[in-house]
Amino acid sequence: MQTTIPNTSSVFTSLLRADFTTQWRNRRSFILLLLVPVIILFSWKGVIDKFGGPFALSSCITIGLVATGLMGYSNSIARDRDKGVFQRLRVAPMPSWCIMASRLLVQLAMILVLTIAVLIAGKKMDNITLTPAGYAMSFLTALIGGAVYLGLGQLIVGMIQNPETVNSTSRLIYFVFIMVGMFGELGILGDQLKEVVMWSPYGTVKRIIAAGMQPAAWNAEMTTALLVTIGYALLFSFIGIKKFKWNNKQ
Amino acid sequence: MKTSDLILEVKGLNIYYGHFHAVQNVSFSVMQGEIFGLLGPNGAGKTSTLSAIEGLLKPQSGSVTVAGFDTLEKPLHAKSAIGVQLQATSFQPELTVGEILQLYAGIYGVALSKDRLSSVMREIKLEDASQKRFRQLSGGQQQRVSLAIATLHDPKLVLLDEPTSGLDPQSRRQLWERMEAMREKGHSVLLTTHSMEEAEAVCDRIAIIDHGKVVAIDTPQSIIDNNKTKPEVIAASRRGKITLEDVFIGLTGKAIRS
Repeated sequence: MQTTIPNTSSVFTSLLRADFTTQWRNRRSFILLLLVPVIILFSWKGVIDKFGGPFALSSCITIGLVATGLMGYSNSIARDRDKGVFQRLRVAPMPSWCIMASRLLVQLAMILVLTIAVLIAGKKMDNITLTPAGYAMSFLTALIGGAVYLGLGQLIVGMIQNPETVNSTSRLIYFVFIMVGMFGELGILGDQLKEVVMWSPYGTVKRIIAAGMQPAAWNAEMTTALLVTIGYALLFSFIGIKKFKWNNKQ
Repeated sequence: MKTSDLILEVKGLNIYYGHFHAVQNVSFSVMQGEIFGLLGPNGAGKTSTLSAIEGLLKPQSGSVTVAGFDTLEKPLHAKSAIGVQLQATSFQPELTVGEILQLYAGIYGVALSKDRLSSVMREIKLEDASQKRFRQLSGGQQQRVSLAIATLHDPKLVLLDEPTSGLDPQSRRQLWERMEAMREKGHSVLLTTHSMEEAEAVCDRIAIIDHGKVVAIDTPQSIIDNNKTKPEVIAASRRGKITLEDVFIGLTGKAIRS
């Protein structure tokens, strides 16, 4: 009979393998999340002509990020917590952070897949091309922006225990972010709201992704937007982790 | 009692939920190769006690030592000596039984080759189920898989939280045989149960917990013998002969708990 502690890297590898397998088995729902930004891009020929490729691509990536963080991540965490999956994992000899880190890594991989899909769709459908630095910055800013929405997803599952309520809340926030974000940014909802949207999690993420696609045009305002984005990610994650309960019966 | 034979020692455990004192100064120990039962009505403090042993809950005072490791000071060492089957054990529904076994083997640092996986599946009489999803199994089959996972790493202590609830008599008997087989191999088992029949059938010793306190601790027969003359136990008796259930009702009362 043994009492040896398994090494963290093999524990982490096992968790990652299981979490990627789970994500693969749920690929239909991920493809649906992916379809929304691609369809928007497909239907935005006029917007691309008027505002440029980076505007359209960054809007679509941001919409995908909101969906991944709010609908994908928060719902899967809420479901597994409700089913007792986390409690079963937590009685094993490993630090609890491994469980969440594995989940987050899978989501970050999905963000990369989403970004690649939108960039490919942009190239194939609308002939939007970026410089190599633009592509590299797109991935980097998408990951930073993704952290905001994963943090927001964490905040939702931290504040709300019931998985059905998590589901409806995340859908509502998704809808509000997309509608207010898209229309507000275009000034349709008034100048005051346009300013609010610009510095909201939607606006800052979208703007740093758009600016990242044209690195030469990066300016001080974008640096401020990047700092605000990182601030949102840290704030949401901090509150989400602090409020999070592994067991919804606590 | 040799210290080396002591696998679990719970000393002066106190757990509060806000102002509610759920576990009050609970102490007991489990020896190597012993099946120990925790009995109590709903809300008596059994699951809270078990959660403290599993490291899921931090007690306000008291200590829990597993295989010589304090669960607060050396949590990972203590956890690696424990195999757990939770009351609401659930696994990711998207994974197959084989994948779940592989996952937990990796988490516990056990190399699980294809042959070893087949042999585990054969042992639990589920040879053809490794490609099935966990939810596709019957209740008894799920319990067998959960128990196989709990013992994959050959732990010194196996914790079973109401393992036979919802099982048919055949599956229950089979589980009792598995517990006895574990005892023969030198594993210690701590189980919580509502079934007096189960406690009498498999437990070497039991502790009855009520309102967070241990009200009796001994072998099932000794608990009957020591309490059979108490008026409240006689009053609880239904058929003249005093049973463990009569003692349990006598000691914990007839009122239904939430």
